Amino acid sequence: MLSRRRAAVSGAAIILLAALPALSARRPRYGGTLRAEIGAAVSSLDPGGASANPEEAAAKAEIAALIYDHRNPDGTYSDPGPFRVSEWEPGKHLTLAANEDYRGGRPFVDAIEIQMRRAARDRVVDLEVNKTDLAEIPPEQARRAADRGTQVSTSQVDRLVALVFLAGHPAASDARLREAIADSIDRDAIVNFILQKEGEAAGGLLPQWSSGTAFLFATVSDPGRAKELWQQIAPSPKIVLGYDSDDPQEQAIAERIVVNAREAGITLTLRAISPSAAVSNVDAELVRLAMVSPQPQVALTSFLGVLNPLAGVNPDPLPDRASPDQIYESEKAIVRSFSVVPIAWMPQVYGLSARVRDWKVPGPGESWPLADVWLDGSGAAAAQGNP
Amino acid sequence: MTFRAKLFWIFTLALVLSVGLIATGVTIAARKAFDESNRQHSDALVAQFQREFERRGQDVARRVQGIANAEGTVRMAIDLARPQADVSVYVSDARGVAQSYQLDFLDFVGNDGSIISSAENPARFGYKMDWVTKGADEKPIDWAAQGPFLTKLDTEAGPALALMAVSRVRVGDKDLYIVGGQKLGKEFLASLVLPAGMRALLYLNLDPNFQPANLIDVSGSVDQAQRFASFIDRVEQQPAEQTFTIDWTADPKSAEVFHALPLRGRQNELLGILLVGNSQREVVILERRIQILAIVAVAVGIFIALLLSWWGAARVTRPIRKLADAARGVTEGNWSARVDVRGGGEVGQLARAFNQMTQQLVEQRERLLQAERVAAWRELARRLAHELKNPLFPLQTTVENLRRAKEQNPEQFEEVFRESTGILLAEIENLKTIVARFSNFAKMPQPELGSVNLNEVVRSVVKLFEAQFGAVGRPPITPELHLEEGLPTIQADQALLHRAVENLVLNAMDAMPAGGVLMLRTTHQNGNVKLEISDTGTGLTPEECDRLFTPYYTTKQHGTGLGLAIVQSVVSDHGGRIAVESESGVGTSFHIELPGKPPQRPQVFPMVFEKKAEE
Repeated sequence: MLSRRRAAVSGAAIILLAALPALSARRPRYGGTLRAEIGAAVSSLDPGGASANPEEAAAKAEIAALIYDHRNPDGTYSDPGPFRVSEWEPGKHLTLAANEDYRGGRPFVDAIEIQMRRAARDRVVDLEVNKTDLAEIPPEQARRAADRGTQVSTSQVDRLVALVFLAGHPAASDARLREAIADSIDRDAIVNFILQKEGEAAGGLLPQWSSGTAFLFATVSDPGRAKELWQQIAPSPKIVLGYDSDDPQEQAIAERIVVNAREAGITLTLRAISPSAAVSNVDAELVRLAMVSPQPQVALTSFLGVLNPLAGVNPDPLPDRASPDQIYESEKAIVRSFSVVPIAWMPQVYGLSARVRDWKVPGPGESWPLADVWLDGSGAAAAQGNP
Repeated sequence: MTFRAKLFWIFTLALVLSVGLIATGVTIAARKAFDESNRQHSDALVAQFQREFERRGQDVARRVQGIANAEGTVRMAIDLARPQADVSVYVSDARGVAQSYQLDFLDFVGNDGSIISSAENPARFGYKMDWVTKGADEKPIDWAAQGPFLTKLDTEAGPALALMAVSRVRVGDKDLYIVGGQKLGKEFLASLVLPAGMRALLYLNLDPNFQPANLIDVSGSVDQAQRFASFIDRVEQQPAEQTFTIDWTADPKSAEVFHALPLRGRQNELLGILLVGNSQREVVILERRIQILAIVAVAVGIFIALLLSWWGAARVTRPIRKLADAARGVTEGNWSARVDVRGGGEVGQLARAFNQMTQQLVEQRERLLQAERVAAWRELARRLAHELKNPLFPLQTTVENLRRAKEQNPEQFEEVFRESTGILLAEIENLKTIVARFSNFAKMPQPELGSVNLNEVVRSVVKLFEAQFGAVGRPPITPELHLEEGLPTIQADQALLHRAVENLVLNAMDAMPAGGVLMLRTTHQNGNVKLEISDTGTGLTPEECDRLFTPYYTTKQHGTGLGLAIVQSVVSDHGGRIAVESESGVGTSFHIELPGKPPQRPQVFPMVFEKKAEE
């Protein structure tokens, strides 16, 4: 009996001793350099300057949010942010050093090294081999990266991939044709296979968590109706579908759309579009839309700001503080025109190294919370004690 | 055409034909050899293609089997065999595996025939590929026994032909199919080692009708592909190996012979056609060279044939020409002509026979001359005896009358003597006349040539005998003159001609004791003038005709037999000819032909008269 008690005490002591380092690791530490990788090549740190593509613009916005504290209504930035530029090699490499005088308090990490122009696959590999601490990875690679030990952080679905029929293109002017193509698309297959279940089939323009009405939009394909509609169109037009030549995910989705359409008897021709190309000469293209706000009205308004010039959709303007019904009707009017065909909602997926702590996935319109991130490990421990 | 010329042309023709036949034979043989070579080249390339096709197929099968045996594939099969298996995690696996195994096509197909992952068409995940799981008979296919096969696949770039193989990984009762293959296209054609001048084309039978874009070569496209349309259609209608030729331009060198090999799929359907092209450029150039060589050879052969023919004909005809010359010499009277031919053979025998013949002719001629001479002398003796007997009888009678008168009637002797001497003198004069006549014939003068119109000669002779034609007491003779106007003059002795015509007219008058028609006709031909004198007398027998011109031969009671001999002598001295034709009871015609200008020597019957002259 005594021996049993001794053994129990000894076991409790061992567990307590083993738990001490873990408890210690959960306390924020200063120091260390956070290594981050992005796919874009940021050529200028001027936040007001022009960007070659949306990816660069987004990356530039993220960097601006690190080196500036305040974003003015006119889009300019002001006040020093948590970091300052230490080294800058345009388009390749950027090192940000912690701003000791930041009014919100010094960031935990001493510096952030941002490696640019890293392909998604390379970013995943770098995460696996612990060559980087933070990188955004394509949703379809999240599961595999997680299976290989990478810490994966996934946001709510806040990015929409949609097929947009371009206004002014006669080949896409027939609503039956647009509807036929929309009906032929197997969104579930796209989500399950291409996005590897990291996303949701999109029937409307806003996600369910934002609008609460997304379930009202059908997402299932109807090849029979698609075929029926297509047969009503004579002569059969030739539709050219464009996609971003630098985006393999878009290419995969576009190819699947073509296959779905072909099964319904519809012939689509694919064409890769360079992001820098001024003229695409396509009838329809895949468009990525990122929510700028969790508020459905704000998000929808920002979407329309992008879609109106492309697809010519121009629903009645929403009143201030529009009701969910009004937002739904507006959204439905756009979707029913089949000029914009929502395909899938995707989350933001970030891969983190094991030493990254207190990372929170940024929500719609939010920036990377790198000022709050700290690094666990020997490098960071050496810097512990700094204010 | 001379015998030599004939021989020359026969030899030439024979040699030219021989050379031509040989050249044609060589050309035909060369063409056959080239055709055979082309066929062998095509067969070799087709065999190479089939070997390469088989090797590629085996290679594809090995690769697919390698994928099936790979750890990752086995794990996938195990994973997919679980209930509620998530196939989505494998959706992008095929592309990487296909690249690793260097396959153009790779599909992982689940137990239900759904595509799990596709390398060539990643977006086709979830769609069915039923032909993998079951055959046309709805039964599972034994892919291990099936082996590689050719099939048509739908790719993002459109339909394509591929060499495919299928392997199966079975876990429990679930199958995972690995469908892999390599595209049959320009890369495959580029792997074929082609001899110079040959090329391989591949028609991908992907559309119901001929599509030029489906015909490819190593560059991916074929110029003027539409030219193949009819041939491709033909092979599609009759899917068997065929050969056809395309003339790209009017130049034969541009021609290209194609051997078409149908390529079939698992269901024996026609999926493609391999076209092995063999340029005829080198063949045509070689054939032309051979033709030029043949033409040169024929030309040289003809030249040599001409020389050989000329030489051969000359060699062969030399003894014959000698024979001909000798025969001509014999014809011209050179009876001593001999042919000097050495060697045997028919020509030698002929020459020897000719020499023997001329020898015999000379001997026979000598004998004949001897006989004729004897006969002539006999005839002369007979004529002389006959001619001399007539005067001698009165001489004998007169002399006997003188002797009898002197013995029996001396008183009348003076008167008898006077009368007898007169008779004797008359008969002696008669004998002298007879002797003079014979002497005159022996002394026939040589013609003194001058311009003579034969018509005038004829007219003068007829005029001379006009009185006798209608003389009282004898039946009349009607002369008929058919003298050609414009008869050319000839070089002749007018007196001799006059004498000859006179003799013939006299002869005709003697032949018509009961009267008749005497016809004299003159004509001319080729510069010669002709005279025909015909009577309607009793005619002559053939034997008489043969001896008619023999001197001292006569059919008349009181003839000397010199008249026609003189005529023949005159005609002969003028280089002319005389002939007679006669029919008993109808009449006789003499034909004389005289040259415009007589030759230096008489050519007709020279020997007779020369011999006569010599005698």
